[in-house]
Formats: sequence, C-alpha cells, structure tokens
Amino acid sequence: MRKIHHYLIRLALFLGILVLPCLSLADTIGSLSTTPEHILMGAQYDGLSLKVNGTVPAGSDVIVLFTGAGSELHLREKGKVFGLLWMNVGKVTLKNVPKVCLVDSSRSFEELGKVADPYRLNGLRDAIEVEKGSGSGNIDIARELLLLKKDERLYSETAKGVILGADEGASRTFAANMPIPSAIAPGEYQVEAVAIKDGAVVGRYVTAVKAELTGFPLWLSKLAYEKSMLYGVLATVIALVSGLAIGLVFQSKGAH
Amino acid sequence: MSLTMNLYLPIAGNSVNCVAIFGLGGAVGLLSGIFGVGGGFLMTPLLMMMGIPPTVAASSDSNQIVGASTSGTLAHFRHGNVDFKMGFLLLLGGIAGGSIGVQIIKILRQLGNADFLISITYVLMLGFVGGYMFLESLQAMRKAKAPDKAQAAPPRRESIYAKMIRSMPFQMDFQRSGIRLSLLMPLALGVLVGILAAIMGVGGGFIMVPVMVYLLRMPMHVVVGTSLFQILFTCINVTIMQATQNHTVDFVLALLLLIGSSLGAQVGVKVGKKLGGEQLKILLASLVLIVMFKMLYDLLVRPDILLAYMGGH
Repeated sequence: MRKIHHYLIRLALFLGILVLPCLSLADTIGSLSTTPEHILMGAQYDGLSLKVNGTVPAGSDVIVLFTGAGSELHLREKGKVFGLLWMNVGKVTLKNVPKVCLVDSSRSFEELGKVADPYRLNGLRDAIEVEKGSGSGNIDIARELLLLKKDERLYSETAKGVILGADEGASRTFAANMPIPSAIAPGEYQVEAVAIKDGAVVGRYVTAVKAELTGFPLWLSKLAYEKSMLYGVLATVIALVSGLAIGLVFQSKGAH
Repeated sequence: MSLTMNLYLPIAGNSVNCVAIFGLGGAVGLLSGIFGVGGGFLMTPLLMMMGIPPTVAASSDSNQIVGASTSGTLAHFRHGNVDFKMGFLLLLGGIAGGSIGVQIIKILRQLGNADFLISITYVLMLGFVGGYMFLESLQAMRKAKAPDKAQAAPPRRESIYAKMIRSMPFQMDFQRSGIRLSLLMPLALGVLVGILAAIMGVGGGFIMVPVMVYLLRMPMHVVVGTSLFQILFTCINVTIMQATQNHTVDFVLALLLLIGSSLGAQVGVKVGKKLGGEQLKILLASLVLIVMFKMLYDLLVRPDILLAYMGGH
C-alpha cells in the first residue's frame, strides 16, 4: 500500500514537470521592457516620456499601466456650513491609494469590454479604503480623489496610445509612451502590460521601474532630512545674506 | 542645444519654471516693498497653483520673506524709516501672541468647527481693515484737494482713545515715529496681532500695518519699514521651525523667489517713496479688499473638487 502511494506521488510529480511548461506557455509569449529602465531625478528633471515596449500573444489588444505603491492619504473634506459657506468640514483617511496611476490602451475601453474595467481608473474605487472622520459629509470620496489626482496629473486614463505591430507567428509587438509627471516621488513603480483577446485576459507582464534622486536634488534632500537644523539655519543665513547683498547693490547704484 | 528653464525641487517634489517663479517673487516683492506686508497671503496660493504642495509653499514663502524683508528693511533704514524700538516691542508682543494663538487653535480644533471660525475671522478682518483704510484714505485725499475748507475747520477735540493712550503708564518717546506713548501699547497690540496671525496662519503684516497706522498713530512710511523689520524676525523663526520639525522648507524654491522678491522690494520702496501716505493706504486697502472678495467668492461658490490636501493658508 505504501509502495503504491509512493508511485502515485512520483507519477504526479512527473506529470507536473511535463505539464508546467505548457501552462506557462501563454506567459512566455510576451515580454515587457522600458526605456529608460530607471527614472533619474536630477536638477533638470521635468517628467519624462517612458517608452514601453514588448510582445503579447498574436491578436491581442494591450492595456499599459504605470502605478505606484499604495499609501495612506489624509485629506480635508469640503462641505457646506449653515447651507451657505463652502469650507473644510472634516478629515478623511484613504488607504491603499496609489501615488500615481497612468493607464493607456490600444483600443477604446468600451470596445475592450468589461474585462478591461478593473484596469481603468474607476477600478481603483474597489481597492481604496475610505475612513471618514467626524464632521464628514455624504460625498463620493473616491470620485473626488480621482478628480484631485487627475488635476495634479498623477492619474490619467487615455485610450489608443498603445501602438500594436502586425502579428508575427504567435506574437505581436506593442509600444507606448507613458508621460511620467514631474510630481512623482522617488520610489518603486510598476509597469504592467495586460494582453486582452476575445474578452479575456491572455497575458500579464510586469516590470519594475525605480525613480531616484540624483546629483544636487539628492544632496539637498539628504541635507534637509538628515541634518534638518543645519539645513534650516543655512536656508535662513543664505536668505539673509542674499537680501543684504541685493540691498547693498541697490545702495551702491543709488550712490552714483 | 536646448536650454531648459525648468528646475526640479526635491523638497517640493515637483519641477518648476525658474522664470515664472522669479517673476512671481518679483511681483510679490514689489507689493512688499511698497506696503510693508510679507505677501504670504498672496504668494502661498499662487505657488499652490503652480503645483507646490501647500505646506511646502507656506514654509518656503517664509524663508524667502527673510531675504525680501532684509532687503526691504535695509532700504527703509537708509531712508530713516525703521523704528527699531517700536519694532522690538511689537515683536515681543507678537511672539507671545503667536504662542497664545497656537494654543487657541488647538482648543478650537478639539471643539470642532475651527476652520469655520478661521475663515470667518479672515474675511471679517480683511473686510474691516480694508474697508476702514479705504474710506479713511479717500476722505483724507478729498480733504487734501480742498485745503481752504480744511484750514477753516475748527480744531478737533481730543478723542477718548487719545486721552486713554496719554493716561497709560510707562510713557516713552519713539523718536523715529515722532510719537509718545506707553510701552504697554505696542506690547499689547503685538500680542493681539500675534494671536490673530496664528489663528489665520499668516505672518500678520496686513493686520500689523493698519494697527501701526490707526492705533499707534505712526507715520505711514515709518510703518512700512518697521513692519518689514518685524516680519524678518517672525519669518526666521518660522523657517527654522518648519525645516527642523516638518521638513517643508524648499530652500531652492525660496532662493529663486527671494532673488525676485528682493529686487521687487527695492523697486517697491522707490515706488512707495513717490506715492503719498494716503495713496499708499488706499492702494493697500484695495489689495486687502480684493483678497477678501476672492476669499468670500471661494466660500460661496462650490469648489470643483471637494477634497484638499492639509496645510497652507
């Protein structure tokens, strides 16, 4: 009985080894890369156009997402006081809010159908947790958050920006330019390409992109966070000296 | 070769156009030089419109005011328009008032609806100060146009307020301002302005200037120089506190603003010299009233987005 048990386990393992490559076949027909691989934020950084390239199974449409890790956000909620004045009425805590979320697709989302819905900005509504504080009103917080982030250009949803190549055997190429805003924070970001065919997801490809400070911004940031007293005093002294210098320049001009 | 005018600011976490920031600093510095106000109530919202987070905008603005007010104070000092004795007394009162104001805000926040009180205080203060200055200056300018009538008018009786000032203890001369009053007056008014400034979250220049003109009865040109001198110390304190506790001072942003604002302040002082005291008052009153109407509009009209970040003025 014990021997039969062992044989069965070995058979299962053997079959598993045989079947595994077949299961991962869909994922191997596909690739994803970005140019540049890392976002370097130097003194001249003003956002950039991130080139996203890859391959997906032939006949697929593609949705490309650039997202940041979810974080907690504390915001003020505006509402009407005494039915007349619009002002801050309460605080709202939102959890699992991506710092940035840029979405683009090869075809309009309506044409892609319901399968594309979780990858749209509205799909974030399910992931974001809302904690309303005292005095909070009855507004659609998630909707207002999307409006706020869109206003900052940290969230965007566009369609038809992903260019598809012709089918070449079992795959096709795609390319997209993601406009990375200048207001992104240093940290890890994720680029994801979702292949959709016949109303179903047939492949998902993910790569990480790191945004990091470099050069003068890195030095200044370290000084501000690690030696904050020195930074504060230096900022004050430089402001004082600059003000005095400009004042003296004007004085000497006036003397002539 | 393309020359970009954009600069990435690591503390603000955004890139800005240097020319736009320089221009903004110059415009606000000009107003600062003319009227002796820090300009925080204008600069912070404008920086926020350029994509700077509210807390960084307010703190960096304080840092640039250090430079602009140094330049402005120096210019006014050369013209003999800084009353250091009065400035120190107001500053002492202001520091004490600021501390009291911070505690009041804490209590109000615990009680709830603090924001309502702040907004209403802001609009009422701006409306009252701006309206009073505007009407008073208008009357004075009309009188100046009709000198004969003014000369013919009987001498005015001493007001109750003037009698009260004269009867207070610890009288001293403020030679630069050409007045004599109790040292308790600038101390007490400094405390009052400090409390209001802390509640409203501003430097308080636009409240301090009318207080000096109408309650301390200082000449307008000395008021401007003395106000800038006092603002300098307030902003040094805010810059160091914000840099160490909240890391919200963007020194590069402040430097760009202050180069613009220091130059603007110098031009402002020269413009101010060419304007009469009453003209200065009526222009400042107009500025204060414009800000008040903008705030009132924001309170009455539904905002496009019903969520906002913490901080800012």
